[in-house]
Amino acid sequence: MATLDLKGVSKQFDDTRVLDNINLNVADGELVVFVGPSGCGKSTLLRLIAGLEAVTTGDVSIGDRDVSHLPPSKRGIAMVFQSYALYPHKTVRGNLGFALKHAGAPAADIKRRVDAAAAILELEDLMDRLPRALSGGQRQRVAIGRAIVREPDVFLFDEPLSNLDAALRVHMRVEILKLHQRLGATMVYVTHDQTEAMTLADRIVVMRDGCIEQVGTPLELYRHPANRFVAGFIGSPAMNFLDAQVREGRVVLGDQPLHPCTRTDGPITLGIRPEHLVQDDDGPLSGGVEVFEHLGGEAFVHITLGENLKVVAKLDGEKVYRPGDTIRLSAPEERCHLFEHS
Amino acid sequence: MPWRKRTTTGQALSAAAIHGVLLAWCALALFPLYLVVINGAKSRRAIFNDPLKLPTSDTFSAKGYASVVGNSEFPLYFGNSLVVTSVSLLLILLLGAMAAHALSEYRFRGNTLLGLYLIVGIMVPIRLGTVALLELMVNLNLTNTLTALILVYTAQGLPVAIFIFTEFLRAVSREIKDSARIDGLSEYRIFFEVVIPLVRPVIATVAVFSMIPIWNDLWFPLILAPGQETRTVTLGVQQFIGQYTVDWGAVLAALSVAVLPVLVMYIIFSRHLIRGITAGAVKG
Amino acid sequence: MKTSRGRALDGAVPRKRIGTSRRWHIFVFLAPATVLYTVFAIYPIVETLRLSLLVEVDGSNVFAGLGNYARLLTEPFWAEQFANAFWNNCILFLLHMLVQNPIALMLAAILSIPSLRGAAVYRTVFFLPTLLSVVVVGFIWQLILSPLWGITPDAMKAIGLGSWFRPWLGLESSALITITLISIWQYVGIPLMLFYAALLNIPEETVEAARIDGLNGFWIFWKVKLPLILPTLGLVTILTYIGNFTVSFDLIYSVQGGLAGPNFSTDVMGTFLFRSFFGFQSQSGDTHMGATVASALFFIILIGVGTYLFGVQRRLLRHEG
Repeated sequence: MATLDLKGVSKQFDDTRVLDNINLNVADGELVVFVGPSGCGKSTLLRLIAGLEAVTTGDVSIGDRDVSHLPPSKRGIAMVFQSYALYPHKTVRGNLGFALKHAGAPAADIKRRVDAAAAILELEDLMDRLPRALSGGQRQRVAIGRAIVREPDVFLFDEPLSNLDAALRVHMRVEILKLHQRLGATMVYVTHDQTEAMTLADRIVVMRDGCIEQVGTPLELYRHPANRFVAGFIGSPAMNFLDAQVREGRVVLGDQPLHPCTRTDGPITLGIRPEHLVQDDDGPLSGGVEVFEHLGGEAFVHITLGENLKVVAKLDGEKVYRPGDTIRLSAPEERCHLFEHS
Repeated sequence: MPWRKRTTTGQALSAAAIHGVLLAWCALALFPLYLVVINGAKSRRAIFNDPLKLPTSDTFSAKGYASVVGNSEFPLYFGNSLVVTSVSLLLILLLGAMAAHALSEYRFRGNTLLGLYLIVGIMVPIRLGTVALLELMVNLNLTNTLTALILVYTAQGLPVAIFIFTEFLRAVSREIKDSARIDGLSEYRIFFEVVIPLVRPVIATVAVFSMIPIWNDLWFPLILAPGQETRTVTLGVQQFIGQYTVDWGAVLAALSVAVLPVLVMYIIFSRHLIRGITAGAVKG
Repeated sequence: MKTSRGRALDGAVPRKRIGTSRRWHIFVFLAPATVLYTVFAIYPIVETLRLSLLVEVDGSNVFAGLGNYARLLTEPFWAEQFANAFWNNCILFLLHMLVQNPIALMLAAILSIPSLRGAAVYRTVFFLPTLLSVVVVGFIWQLILSPLWGITPDAMKAIGLGSWFRPWLGLESSALITITLISIWQYVGIPLMLFYAALLNIPEETVEAARIDGLNGFWIFWKVKLPLILPTLGLVTILTYIGNFTVSFDLIYSVQGGLAGPNFSTDVMGTFLFRSFFGFQSQSGDTHMGATVASALFFIILIGVGTYLFGVQRRLLRHEG
């Protein structure tokens, strides 16, 4: 178990800079999730930590060792890949023990560690099968098992659940959480799925265009997003963004003055999460229902407040609206976010 | 196909027509082969009197096959062809896979250019260099050696092999190789222990595609190694036909024997063949 | 900000540290194939091109510019053979395009019908002749068409066409066409396989969409599948073109000999090259003229490949996209 430190890490491919001056400290036993849209550099960052790519500048340290120039196998890491990356010609047992065998560990030692990992992941009955005879979920468990067997300082996960179907993904997510609690290991997890990030992470690192946008616990990011990008990325369904004005110390949406605000006058972007809009017959916002999506316990109501002012509200499913109905809403002041106008 | 289930007379007719066309072409494709194989096992008189008939107990004669196998030269030719074809094939597969692996796996300056250079031989036949090639072999003292043929066939087979392997390897996920790297394997062991097992399905395709032109080639044996000791089966049969035009049984038997290894290879690997073409050539 | 820019610029240094340790195996993987291929494929072709610019004077090579090419194109002895061989190649190519490839396309289209039973067996059989050595193929067909052995004459007699029989391979007027048909019989498997693979690659949804749009079997093939396999059609064309100039040697040499008889009526660039280089009968071989013929052939193929790469294929790709 160890800490992981990135200092001024940059990566350049030919002329394109894919990572720019990344600084991050991951505490011992922490599960950090890198999240961001595809192409934001999160997977490259993980590969830099693994040593599969060389850093252009900067340092990667694991524990107190600078590993920037060590090959992957000497860094004390293990990695779980999206496509599982099992050796197709080796059995489950062969896959689990491969790294140790290659490193020349004694047979008894290998067997003990392989059996222990198999027990954790309930793979005991599959040990002599080839990967092609396994389901997607089983393959992913073997891939995770292979990482456990190595007893690494840091576990790296590269979108490990993306190839699984939705139900299995939720199940495996819980498995990984349990595993983290059980092993107490330092883990870095890359995903583009904000739900995975929210549910798994001790801390989330939101990335865009090769830079870190914000680092924080899931709740910090949810409650206090540093900018519009983070606000839009975290939370589902996504936050509503509305063009608003600041006039004489108040936020004004269309012609409707809302709560007071200390910013100087001018255009501004108002962000309100769908779950924070409340149906309120005395509310300041009113609009026509466009689409009504009922999910049973709750409902998403798509509402047009005015020209170019559309919001989605997540309401309880008690009241059913039809397209064309008028609805009045309010948004608690403390739940509203203000961003620079873009 | 839902429409297949409700077969009507019209559909049955068109199905019959389709199979008719296909069977007719099959007959056309197989008929000459049939002639060779059956007549090789018949007496001379029977060959001429009734070329289409299967050998009966009256007309059966193994003399043709016997004279081929008993012919002191024919086994030699056969051995030459086997050596040339198998060694070339081995080199093509090994060196081709190695080069394709490097081209598809590593980023380095000139990668694309080298890749193009290595496959340009698909479009520019090596035969065009025959004049200089013969001179080169003379200078290297390699004329009338099997080595000369092996070197030329390897060079000739590499572009297609590299092309097909590269297309295939590009489609293979990089993650498994990265995983091996994390497990501490050297780049060489990654190639032999991870990549080679991965390309096994296309190896068959590349092998068949590379083997046929080598086994059947007439041009290079004729020019680089026409000597008695180094004759390949194809060249041998070609000369044999000239010598023994009277001994029809022997000639026909020789033809059958010359065809055999390719047929065996093909029948073993034919299932992989289409998969290989679909993976490689079509994308080009 | 300034410091981070500065570090970005000299970033190449640490990258190289891992880079060098990774470089050697790239070299090891690539070198054997590259060296072998360069020495025994590329060098001979380049050297042949160079030899075509030289002539031998008193046992030593002298630069002659395009003199050999001028000889090839103007000296009657060479020019007549060249023109004849080239023309025969053109006929060969045309016949392959008009007969072989349509047959291949038709058979591939039938084979790719999803509900067809026994497709694997048909496929295997259709490709079989392609595997055979041309020596074998040539001899078989010589036998079949031979007036002596008499399968064909007898068979034609049996259906009342006996008087139509001719020794086709021996007649100047029909020898080339007969050879071409034999070649088609043998090699139809290659375009067939390529077409077949391309047709299999067409997504089933596309075909089903066309069916829902009201197209039936033939029209689906003509309007949907054919446009989708146009790139393969281009590939087959260029492969036919190249094969026609090179591989045709084997069949003609083994059936008709180096003189490509009767009376050069089946002479193609390959047999012409062979004779120029090695000589025949009274004519002795000439390295430089051989190299010149080979180089001429090289440029002919280059023009074809160039046209294909820069013209046909680009348009086809645009069409596809």
